[in-house]
This record gives sequence, C-alpha cells and structure tokens, in this order.
Amino acid sequence: MSYPDIIFNNLLIVALGGAFLTYLLGKVSQNVRNGFAIFISSVLVLMVAGLHGYGKELVYARFFDHPLILRINNLSWLFAITITVLSTMSIIFSLSYMKDKTRLGLYYMMMLLVSTSMLGIVMSGDLISFYVFWEIMSWSIFVLVSYNKGPALAAGLKYIIISLAGSLCMLVGILSIYGNFGTFDISQIAGFIASAPRGYIVFILIMFCIAFGIKNGLMPLHVWVPSAYTESPSPFTALLSGMLAKMGTFGFLMIFYIMLGSRIFLYLGQGRLSFHYILCLLAGITIVIPNFIAVFQDDAKKLLAWSSIGQCGYIILGIAFGTSLGLAGGIFHFFNHAIFKALLFLAVGAVEFRTGGVRDLNSLGGLANKMPVTFIATLVGACGLIGIPLTNGFVSKWLIYKTLILNGSPFLAFAALIGTWGSLLAIYKLLHNMFLGQLSEKHKNIKSAPFSMRLPMVILCAVTIIFGILPGLGLNIINSIGISLGFESLGVNLWGIASETGTLNTINIFAAIIVLVFIVYIIFRTGGKSVLVSQDNSYAAGAYVPADKYHYTVDFYNPFYTMVKPWLKDRIDQFYVWIGKISEKLAEFVRRMYTGDLGNYVIYIMLFLAVLICVQLIWRPW
Amino acid sequence: MGVAGFILSPVIGFVIGIFFMGLFRIIMARIHWRYGPPLYQPVIDIIKLFLQKSVSHGVIFELGLLLSLAGSVVTLLFIPIGNICPLNISGGLLVVLYLMLLAPIGIALSGGSGSNPNISIGISRKMLLALSYEVPFLLIVLTLMFYYRTISLVNLVHFQRASSWGIVSLPLAGIAYFLILPAMLGIRPFDMVEAPQEISSGLKVEYSGKFLALYYIEHAFRRFIVIALFVNLFLGGAGEPFTFLLKMVIVFVLGVFINAVFPRFRIEQAIRFNWTWPTILALAGLIITYIWGGYG
Repeated sequence: MSYPDIIFNNLLIVALGGAFLTYLLGKVSQNVRNGFAIFISSVLVLMVAGLHGYGKELVYARFFDHPLILRINNLSWLFAITITVLSTMSIIFSLSYMKDKTRLGLYYMMMLLVSTSMLGIVMSGDLISFYVFWEIMSWSIFVLVSYNKGPALAAGLKYIIISLAGSLCMLVGILSIYGNFGTFDISQIAGFIASAPRGYIVFILIMFCIAFGIKNGLMPLHVWVPSAYTESPSPFTALLSGMLAKMGTFGFLMIFYIMLGSRIFLYLGQGRLSFHYILCLLAGITIVIPNFIAVFQDDAKKLLAWSSIGQCGYIILGIAFGTSLGLAGGIFHFFNHAIFKALLFLAVGAVEFRTGGVRDLNSLGGLANKMPVTFIATLVGACGLIGIPLTNGFVSKWLIYKTLILNGSPFLAFAALIGTWGSLLAIYKLLHNMFLGQLSEKHKNIKSAPFSMRLPMVILCAVTIIFGILPGLGLNIINSIGISLGFESLGVNLWGIASETGTLNTINIFAAIIVLVFIVYIIFRTGGKSVLVSQDNSYAAGAYVPADKYHYTVDFYNPFYTMVKPWLKDRIDQFYVWIGKISEKLAEFVRRMYTGDLGNYVIYIMLFLAVLICVQLIWRPW
Repeated sequence: MGVAGFILSPVIGFVIGIFFMGLFRIIMARIHWRYGPPLYQPVIDIIKLFLQKSVSHGVIFELGLLLSLAGSVVTLLFIPIGNICPLNISGGLLVVLYLMLLAPIGIALSGGSGSNPNISIGISRKMLLALSYEVPFLLIVLTLMFYYRTISLVNLVHFQRASSWGIVSLPLAGIAYFLILPAMLGIRPFDMVEAPQEISSGLKVEYSGKFLALYYIEHAFRRFIVIALFVNLFLGGAGEPFTFLLKMVIVFVLGVFINAVFPRFRIEQAIRFNWTWPTILALAGLIITYIWGGYG
C-alpha cells in the first residue's frame, strides 16, 4: 500500500477518533485538550494535503446488500482541503475567544465532529453514507448554533426545523431513487438515470435542490441564515458560513454534474423555461435582494450573514449556468468566499472579544489604530467580498460575469454586477462604523487582538491576496475538475486566464498598482511636511467638536433607507411563520380528537371502516 | 506603442485633467459674466498647495489617498486614448469597472480615518450617489458588451470604427449615459457630495497642503477617465490621440454648461432622478438589444 492509500483509509477514523478523544482529554486537562484539538485538525490538513491528485474508491462496509463507498477525486479534494484548513483556523481562533466559556469539551468535540461529517459528505460514494453524514452535520450545527442559549436557542430551533424539512425532502428523493433503480451507488445511478423519464428527473432534482438550497441559503429557503449566523459563537460562524453552508454547493455539484451529467442537466425543459435557467434566476434574486438587505443591518454579524446569502447566489449562478467558465467561476467563488467570509467573521469576532461582546455598528468606531491587524484583516476581507482586483473574489466574479455576458444573459449579469454594489455599501458601512471615524472614550484603552486570533486572520489574509495575484493556483485544480465533469478546458496559467475574447492577467494589474503606489509615494514624500494631529483636532466649520464620539454612523445610509423602507417587508419569513401557525392549528385540531374516551375511539374506527367500505363499493380499488 | 504608452498615458491624463479644471473655471466665469482666473491657475494652486505645511490624521489617512491616486492612474492605463492603451490585453472593460472602485474606496478610507462628521456625511452621500448612477451605468455597459459580444474595450472601439458610433447604433443607451454623466463627474446638479455650503466640502474637509494637492490631481484623473470612457463607448474612440482629446473637450464643455444652469439636488432627489429617466432609457435600450440580437 502506498502512502496515499494509508492516509485515505484512515482519514475518517482519525477525524472521528480525534473528536471523541478531545472530549475525553478535556476531563484530564483544559490545556491538553485545546492543544490536542489543534494538533488533530492540523494533522487532518496534512493528511488531506497528502491526497492531492489522488483518486480512489473504497468499500468500507455493507448495509444489507448495498456497499457503502468512500471515494476521492479532485472535486472532493478541493472541498476537503478547504474544510480542514478553515476548521483549523477557527479552532485556533477559539482558543482565546472561548476562553471564559463553559462546556468547552462539548464545543471542541462538536467543532471536530462537524469537520469530520463534512469530510464524510464530500467523500461519500453512495447516497446512504451521504445522508448519514449529512444528518450528523445538521445536528452538530444545531448544537453549536444554540451553544450560547437564550436567543441562540430560538435561532437553533428555527434552523433545525427548516433543515429537517430539507433532509426529509432529500430522504424522499433517495428512497425514490432506490425504489426505481435498486441501488445507492452514485456512479451506478448516473448510469441508470440517463434513461429515466424527464419528469421523474425533475422531481428528483427538486427534492434534492430543496435540501441543498436550504443549506446554501438559496432564496426563498434562506430564512434560517440571519439568526443562526448572528447568534452562534464567531469562530463557528466562520466555519458555518465558510464551509457548512457550502455543503449545499457540493450537493448541487454532485447531483447536477456527477449524478446527472451536464448533457441531461442543461437540457431539462426548453430555452428560458429549462430547469437550470430557473435556478439561475433564483440565484440572481439571491444575489440582489440579500446584498441590499445587508446594507441596512446594524448588527455586524447580521450584516455579514445577509451578505453571505448574497454571495452564495454568485456560486449557484456560476454552477447552474453550466458553461465551463461559469462552473470554474462558481467553484472558485465557493473557495474564495469560504476564505474571505471566514476572515470577516473572525475579524468581527476579534472586535467582539475585545470590546466585551459589542457587535452593534452604531456604538463602535475608530478602532483601526487600536487593532491594526484586525483592521487590515477586515479590509482585505472586504476587498475580497467586493471583488477589488488583486483579491481572490475578483477573479471568480470576473469569470462569472464574462460567461454571463458572452453567452447572452445580460440581465443575470446585471443582477450579479449590481449585487456587488450592495456588498460594497454594506461592507464599507461595517468597515467605517467599526474601524474608522472617532474612537469613543470607553474604547480608549482597548488592546490589540491576542496572537491566537491574529494568526488565523493573517493566514487567511495571505490566502486571499495570493489567490488574487496568482489565481492559477486554484484554477488549475478547478480546471481539472471541470474537465472531469465533461466541460471543455480553459486556458489557465498561473496568473490568469487566456482566451480569444478578453484575457485576464492579474500579474499585470499587480505590477501596475505596486509601481504606481510607489511613484505616488515618492511624489508625496517630496511635498511639504505634515503634522500628525489628534482626532479631536478637526475642522467643523467653526462649530465645537465634542471630545467623545461626535460621528456620523447611526443611520449611515438614511436617505436611501427612507426611500426603500415601504418595500422592506420580509414576506418570505412571514410566509414560513404562517405555515408554522397553520400546522400548529392543525395539530391542535388533531389533538382534540384524542378525547381519552374509549367510546369515541371506537366510533372513529367504525367511521373509518365505513369510509373504506364505501370507497371499495364505489371505485373498487382493491 | 509598447513601453512609451505607460508613460504617455498618465501624462496625457494628468495634463488634460488639469487643463479641464482651468477650462471649467473659465467657462463658468464667462457664463456668470465674470472674467475668471487664467487657464493655468490650477497648476499654480497645486504647486502652492504641494509646498505648504499640512495636517495629517495618521497612516490610513495618508495611504488611502495614495491608493486612490494610484488606482485612478492604473484605471487610466486600461483605457484607450486613441491608439495609446498600454494594458489593453489584461481583462477588458470588466477590469476597468472594478478598478474604478479603487479610487473612491481609497478616498473613503482616508476620509473615514479623518474622524470628521462632515467627511462621514460626504462618504455616505458619495456611496449612495454612486449606487444611484451605477444602476443605469451597468445597464448601459452591459448593453454595449452584449451588443458587440466582447468584454474588451479595445474591441469595442474597433467595432465602432468599423461600422457606426455607439450612440448611433444604441441611441437609448447613449442618451442615458449622457444623463448620468454629471453625476459621474460629480458636477451640479449632483455635487451634494462636496456641497461646500452644507458640509464644508465633505470628503476633502480635512485635506490640506499636499493632501489637497493630491486630491485635486486624483479628481482631475477621475474626470478624465469618466469622459474618456464615454468617448470610447459611444463616440467611437479615435485612431490617434488628438481626435480623441477633441471629442473629450466637446463632451466636457457640454457637461460644464449643465453645471452652470442647475441648482444642487438633495441626495434623495439624485437617487430618484437616476433611477427614473436614465434607468428607464438604459433598460429599454438593453431590452431592445436583447430582442433584436447583437452586432454582426
């Protein structure tokens, strides 16, 4: 057996065993447990890294007659490496963030269990393993979301109810597939499904898409996202937004391009009424509306949560659009979003940690000089989110825009481009209200974030910028994924994409910006001298500037808000609440039937039999 | 053009941008029946400011401004000025759209750390104004890219020179672009971002000395870029720089005339205006193009 074989065979055992061992070690010593959690997650990173370019299938158990399969290919590898890296980052971040909290053994075990279940999902080769790991993940998320109790419990309940509805839909789909084809093996199903009727395929797709759409926060299935992201502990939010929601993306990729294949998926229905185009439209809506709702949020994490929903729209748009550029853009944006959104959540977590849990954007300000590393992290993350050139977000968005324009969907391209302005307004508000402007008196003595928080932020910053300047690092793998899924190859090199209509060359842009900043700096230095003054020493047109916080942050976009306020009603959430109320009433009605009187039950049975007899007499179904 | 373009392009942008500032003041003065300052007054101002002592609010305050100036010049390298376009093969119009964000973000960062309430109000207005004109602007740009089926700015100019100008092939988009041009240039009726009488010039209130000089230079570049983009997208660009600059001067003078006769909008009015007529025209243009299909 070669090394990759050994690694592959033992990967999940190490992950699962590590999770439980972490819990047990917590009974011995806190420090040993924390050290071990970091150790085991780093080991997982190394193990997954060792599997680069490796492909294999492994039957690890049997469920009655059906083999349970683990397999790895380039797509699984890309997801697996992102999972392990991000989970290591958030566990390192947790060291100081969670220091004063209770039930830490449970927390670290669940963090590791979540990444184990994600590894399981991306490596399952059959639908049973997929579903089992999916459920482990869903329930672990519930435990971690409601970790803080109080409002977090409500958020967790909302999440788990919606998530269960999705899981049930998926279960219906899986059982229906089994009933028709008699197998759970994904590659076998791919062979059978080509001859299935189109209507049946659409039914299966809708069932799976509900489950994956809920995890991914696709509109109108996104309602659990804002509260769950806001209330969960920040290091976990980074993982939740960065990776866990992206399991929906993996699911989409699996069912569209592995189980169905692009030949079937892209030709379900006709023209604008085809399945993939309708999904693109939903993705377009998911880009525009949440990105603009984010603009009006005052809670830092809620702002990022809405923005996450919006960014997932780009990913699904790219994947569902179904061109090789779009697929590459979608997958690359998944990776990039995982990195920069985790970075942003960690940065907000660091501010939350140092200010004693303040997330309200109206009461912060001027922290840039006090927490420089956190500020730079937020800035880099923000640039990635907006898609400023030289950050990774730009490259993936460029790919998606380009394919939308050249393949004749200018309206979807408009949705994607204007969504960027929503995220620009929202993220600038976050940046300005937290780090710029005047520092308030009570934050005068704030210290910089501790090392265990700065380290993950710096690493993620570096990844954001490196993949922006040398996108080929990621695009090479993504290109090979595209080829293995039956798409044509892109002309990828280390610093961009070459093609006949419009080439992207990030090295040129990088060099130009560096040289020009240098030249401008030289010119700047030759000018007259400048004196550094304090924040209170500013020009207020003759008016007196109070010493504390005299600063325009509350209602930052007020003129815009008053304009659009009449249209801002969360009808989707109201709709789900309405469904909840209806089912509650129904349950109440059903409960009343159980009177506890034996006579009533006998009458029910008699009535039921009478109905059955009538049915038999009239239609004779049996 | 090769390497020479890398030097020529910023130099032309700088000289013409400053020239526009002087021209702006002269034309405004003549419309007001004043004599006005000499054409080279902005040069004197900038040199004077550059040598003066100034006040700084810290590292971000300085770096943000440098970033915004560098961002503007980089954007310029992607825009063809006649046949001068040093970075024409590096990503096309989509890259220009995103590079154009560097300058406002740099200014916003720099201003934001200036910790002056007037700046924050100015930034908030700037962001909203940008959002309001970006809606029609993106529709217009998409109409062009969809019509000619290319994302390369150089190709757009080539196609227009081979057939007819963009404003003839796509009149609705062209008119819509002209309507939002004052907002993109930040001149009246859309100068609420810098309204001197309300928020003491907003964004630039904390700039003094060399900071103000750099801000003016950045401003000159930004005006040049917006007008150059209009000439490239709708007036067929040009084969050599001279014709190109002539077209730019005409567009700019028309813009100054608009500036001279309109009072200032409030920000809500600006948003409402940009989201009605220019957006309706641009959307109609895009729908028509979408139905009739593209060029060639």
